[in-house]
Amino acid sequence: MNISMCMKRNIVSIPDTYTIRDAAAVIVKKHIGLLPVVDKDDRLVGVVSLRSLLSLELPDFVNFVADLDFVHDFGAVETTRPPAEVLDNSVTTLMSPAMSVPEDAGLLRTYALLLQHNLHDMPVVSADGKLVGIASRVDIGVAILSTWAKRD
Amino acid sequence: MNIPAIFSGLIFVISLVFIFSEKIHRSIAGIAGAVFMVGAGKVLGFYSEEAALGAIDFNTLGLLLGMMILVAMLEPTGFFQYLAVWAARASRGKPVRLFVLLGSITTVLSMFLDNVTTVVLIAPITILICEILGLSPLPYLMAEALLSDTGGVATLIGDPPNVLIGSAAGFSFNDFLIYSLPIVAVAWVATLILLRYLFRDELSKLPENANAVMSLNPAESLDDPKTARRILVVLGAAILLFFVHHLLHVSPSFIAMCAAAVALLWVQPDIAEMFKKVEWSVLIFFSALFVMVGGLEAAGVLDGIVGLMERLSSIPPLWFGISLIWIVAVLSAVVDNVPITIALIPVIRGLGEAGMDITPLWWALAFGAGFGGNGTIIGSTANIIVATLSEKTRTPITSSLWNRRGLPVMLVTCVIASVLYIVLYKTF
Repeated sequence: MNISMCMKRNIVSIPDTYTIRDAAAVIVKKHIGLLPVVDKDDRLVGVVSLRSLLSLELPDFVNFVADLDFVHDFGAVETTRPPAEVLDNSVTTLMSPAMSVPEDAGLLRTYALLLQHNLHDMPVVSADGKLVGIASRVDIGVAILSTWAKRD
Repeated sequence: MNIPAIFSGLIFVISLVFIFSEKIHRSIAGIAGAVFMVGAGKVLGFYSEEAALGAIDFNTLGLLLGMMILVAMLEPTGFFQYLAVWAARASRGKPVRLFVLLGSITTVLSMFLDNVTTVVLIAPITILICEILGLSPLPYLMAEALLSDTGGVATLIGDPPNVLIGSAAGFSFNDFLIYSLPIVAVAWVATLILLRYLFRDELSKLPENANAVMSLNPAESLDDPKTARRILVVLGAAILLFFVHHLLHVSPSFIAMCAAAVALLWVQPDIAEMFKKVEWSVLIFFSALFVMVGGLEAAGVLDGIVGLMERLSSIPPLWFGISLIWIVAVLSAVVDNVPITIALIPVIRGLGEAGMDITPLWWALAFGAGFGGNGTIIGSTANIIVATLSEKTRTPITSSLWNRRGLPVMLVTCVIASVLYIVLYKTF
C-alpha cells in the first residue's frame, strides 16, 4: 500500500497571488489546517498552515516564557488583531517551503516524516511536480491500522 | 621602540580589532591572541609561560566564577520571574509605577548579581506583563538595561570592570559603598527621571486591561521555592561577609567561592546542567586578556604609555581624572569595557609607581567604564541582550531609538559623575 491509496484527492489550494487575509478566509470556509499554495501551472510552491497564520496573533512572550501556568488571563492580547498591513501582505511572505512526497511513497515513511517535522498534513505531488493530493496523520494512520484487522 | 614592544603591541592591537569587530567570537580571538603573545614572548625572550600564568588575576576569576555558580543555581528556581510578577501585581497595572518597580528590582539584583543574567531573566517576563496590559515593552526593556548598567557601578561585585578595579586597586566591598554608591545613587535617580521624561508619551498611555496583571500568581511562577530559599540564604550570608571581608583578611573571591561551595553542598544540583549555565567563555576571555596585557607589560609597551602620560603631569590631577572618565566612557560606549579596563589597570598602576596619587584615577576608570556603556545599543552586554530579545518581537529596539533615549542617559550620568568627582575629589 502506498500514499496515493489513502490521500484525499479533492484538495483545496490557493494561487500564490493571494494575500494572507484571502488565505485565512479560505481556511475558515473549508475548515482545514493546511493550505497548499500553487503557481499558475498547478505546481506546489509552498504551504500555509493554520499554525503559521495564528502565529501572527499569538503574543511574543509565548516564545520566551517556558511555563505559562501562572498567567491566568492574557488580558489585552486576547482582543488584539494582527494589523491590516500585515494581513494585506502576499501569502508568500508567510508560507513555508513545501514538504511533499511522491505518489508511490510508503505509508510508514510518510508518517515518520510528519512526526519528525511536527506536521499534520503531507502534500503529495506527481512526477512533474503537480499537486495531486493531501494525506493527513489520520488518513495515513487509519490506512496502516486497517491492515491489522486481517488475521494471517 | 624595541622589537618585543612592536611585536606584542601588534598582537594586542590585532586581537582587539577581531574582538571589537565581532567577526569572530571574542573568546576565540582572545585565546589566539594570548597564545601568540606567549609564543612571541618565548621566541623574543620577553615573556614566559610562568609569567603568563602570573599575569592572570585569579581573584577576579574566582569572584566571577563563585557568583556565576550561585546565579546558575538560582536561575532555574524561577526566583527572577517571581520578582517580576510580584512587581506587576504591586503596580496594579499603572505604567509609571510598573516602570519604577521593574527598574528598581533590576537595579538591586544587578548590584549583587551579573547584569546580563538579571536582564536575561527579567526581560521575557517584562514582555509578558506589557503584552497582557496592551503596552509597548520598549520603555521598560530599555530602562532595565540602562538602570542595571548604572546600578552595577555601585558595588564591587556589580559589574566586571569593578571586580577588576577592586582587585587591582585593593578596594574593599565597603570602599565601593562609601565612594561609588553615593555617586551612583544620584546618577540612578537622574537616569530614572530622565527616562520617565524621554518616554513620557509611552508611559502616559493607560493599559487597556489593568486587571489582567492581578490574575498573575507569583507563587505559581516560583518553580522551586525550597532551592530558591536555600540559595538566597547563602547569597545573603555572602553579601554580609563582603561587608567585613577586609576585617577577616580574606578576598572577595574567597567569599564567593565559599558561598558557591556551601550552596552546591546544600542543594546538590545536577552538576552538568548547572555548569552549562556558567559563562565559561567570559572567564576564558578575561584570562586571555590578562595574558595578553601581561605580555604588553613584560615587553615594556605599558611603560612607554606611562612615560607618555607622565609628560601630561602638568595637567592638574583633578582634570586628569575627569578626562579619564570621559575618554573611558566614550570608548566603553563603542567597544567592550572589559578589555579597556584590563589594559588601563597596569597603566594606572605604572602612574602610581611614578609617584602620582592614583586612588582617584581608579574611581574615574570605574565611572567611565560603567556609565559609558549606556551610550549605545552595543555599549554593554545588557543592552545587546534586550535589543536582541526585542528583535524577536513586534516592537524591536533600533540603534537610532537607543541613540535618542540611551545616549542622553550616558551623557547625564557622566556629567553627574564628573561634577560629584570634582566635589568629592578631596575625599578619594
